[in-house]
Amino acid sequence: MDTLSLLLLTTFTPLFAFLIALIFLLQQPRAAQTVVLLGSVVSLFASIVLFLQGPTEPLRFLWFSSGNIQLQFGFILDGPSLMFGMVVALITGCIMVYSTGYMAHDPDKTRYFSMLSLFAWSMLSFVYAVDLLQAFIFWELVGLASFFLIGFWYEKPSAANAARKAFLMTRVGDVGLFIGVLLILQATGIFDIPALLNPQTGLSTQVSPHTLTWITLLIFVGIMGKSAQFPLHTWLPDAMEGPTPVSALLHSATMVAAGVFLMIRLHPLFMAAETTPVVILTISTFTAILASTIAMVDTDIKKVLAYSSISQLGFMLIGLAAGSLFAGVFHLITHAIFKALLFLCSGIYIHAYETNDMATIGRKGGRNLKATTTGLVIGGAALAGIPPLAGFFSKEEIFAQLGHNGFNIYMAGAFFAAFLTAYYTFRMIFLIVKPDRHEESHDHHHGPLEPLNMKGPVMLLTIGALITGFFGGQIAHMLNIHAEHHALLDMLPAIAVVAIGVFVAYLDYGRSQAQRTGFISNIGALNTLFVNRWYIDSFYNAVIVRLTLAIAALMHWFETHGLDGNFDRLGLNILRTGTQSTRVQNGLMQLYLAWTIIILGIVALYIGMA
Amino acid sequence: MTLHAYLLLGLALFSLGLIGVLTRRNLIALLIGVELMMNAASLNFMAFNRYVVTDPTVGQIFVLIIIGLAAAEVAIFLSIILRLYREYRDIDAEKLTELRG
Repeated sequence: MDTLSLLLLTTFTPLFAFLIALIFLLQQPRAAQTVVLLGSVVSLFASIVLFLQGPTEPLRFLWFSSGNIQLQFGFILDGPSLMFGMVVALITGCIMVYSTGYMAHDPDKTRYFSMLSLFAWSMLSFVYAVDLLQAFIFWELVGLASFFLIGFWYEKPSAANAARKAFLMTRVGDVGLFIGVLLILQATGIFDIPALLNPQTGLSTQVSPHTLTWITLLIFVGIMGKSAQFPLHTWLPDAMEGPTPVSALLHSATMVAAGVFLMIRLHPLFMAAETTPVVILTISTFTAILASTIAMVDTDIKKVLAYSSISQLGFMLIGLAAGSLFAGVFHLITHAIFKALLFLCSGIYIHAYETNDMATIGRKGGRNLKATTTGLVIGGAALAGIPPLAGFFSKEEIFAQLGHNGFNIYMAGAFFAAFLTAYYTFRMIFLIVKPDRHEESHDHHHGPLEPLNMKGPVMLLTIGALITGFFGGQIAHMLNIHAEHHALLDMLPAIAVVAIGVFVAYLDYGRSQAQRTGFISNIGALNTLFVNRWYIDSFYNAVIVRLTLAIAALMHWFETHGLDGNFDRLGLNILRTGTQSTRVQNGLMQLYLAWTIIILGIVALYIGMA
Repeated sequence: MTLHAYLLLGLALFSLGLIGVLTRRNLIALLIGVELMMNAASLNFMAFNRYVVTDPTVGQIFVLIIIGLAAAEVAIFLSIILRLYREYRDIDAEKLTELRG
């Protein structure tokens, strides 16, 4: 098959599955599920074949042109899009299979699966997009699909609010992104990404360094919104209100990954700008530490994973901003796999024990679910960065890049965040695997706790998390970068940091006489700060939400008393005039006649005088 | 006799008819008032025909039409009045308000 039909199969099969499911199969959830799964499988195989064929020239089709501006629709086929497209298709496929178990009893399965398919279509199309505006369209579609899925249980007010929050906060970032895209258009008149990135004729040669800094910063605002970087990160933990497979999808391969992927796509522009990398490094390092500290104290397994995602996204952006495309791509891919794995494991626990609290899951016997607990431990170890699992190599690449380019203060921050990551990950693992007292769980489920359609994807991803770390060389080859092999001695600091984190977690939670309270609870003020999520949400609620509501109330008053009030008064007065004038119509013919004569007389007099 | 005298007589007749129509409640009296006004109009036509335009086709034809119209009108009006009287035993315009006009 030629490349174009493979691409169409990859990107458009989920769209057709979405349309078929939503239009024809609303009443047959099982059929809809099958159609969507089939679409996902086709898309996965096509993306694998594309990947095996290797990078080729982009394909471009003119959509329309207006004046000198040409909008095209096309596919870019370089290393990042081929690899990440495959990862997206793979993880979407795993999550769809898993969802057949997780959502088995939901009455609204058709909507769920069709929205998953919509999500897959938007994300895949975004990954392969060749045109900046095309990418922006699919970027927004990704946001829309995640809005539908976060708010899937829309009858719960918290879910509806979380969906709105996610949509609005990412929209704040998208304003920045859109202005950046328009500035690019103004400066160059083209949207074609490879042309913009061309070092001889691209954007960086056509605008002043100052303008380039502004453009990249504005694009980064969009990335901040999508990839949940401080200060636009608060939507991501709330997005846990959606079904757990959705969280898995949202946090690994789609939505939040879109922001990082955009930065990968436009990486040369960011590197050409003067101050942008430093700004990104500052924000991302701060975000990585901030999110890790919150994950240290949260008790809700999904919230811990959510904050961990924020912090890992920070790591990816650190790697990219430090100048290494390879570090960002590598960590994006490994993170996609182990984070999807961790969320799917947490979903099985939540499904089995109907609680999100880690200590309760542990007490109810979470460790008895063998496949899930294996997945949790391996995924957690990969997240923490224990060699030789996936996360270790990609994080090591980020540290190496920071050290290589002399960003020492950011490297210290990244090491601190890595220490916290190891700590909170093993806190989660110990809480579940080594509970303080063991209760027999009352098996109130009819089926097995780990049905095969949920266990299968978990086992597949477990293998993925085990082996992905060794594919660094191949990934670098796809990116046309020569991967340096780091000496074991260079890796020692990273290993040491992780080991300390795990050891502290063991002291706090793992050993048999452990207190099961984090070391941070000895420092009351910090503990309060972390438990309250640095008061960022409270601040937003107290200031921004209240301000917006006040403005809305003012507008409402102006509307009801000003515009609407006056128009109402006008209408009422017309009505009253009408009511008054009907009294003249009293049915006395002779009176009418008299009036007619009088008025005719007056008219005649007037005409006679004139 | 001058045109002026005819016009004054027409005006007097018309006014009497109008007062009759406006003030009386009896349907027969209303009919008489209307007839008076029509005759005033006819008189004016004839006066203008006599003193201003002497061509008989200008005024006399109008008057003939008015006379014919009045005859037809009287016939219809009287038959309606007769019917009303049989129905209600009354020909007072104020009391015949069933149509809410």
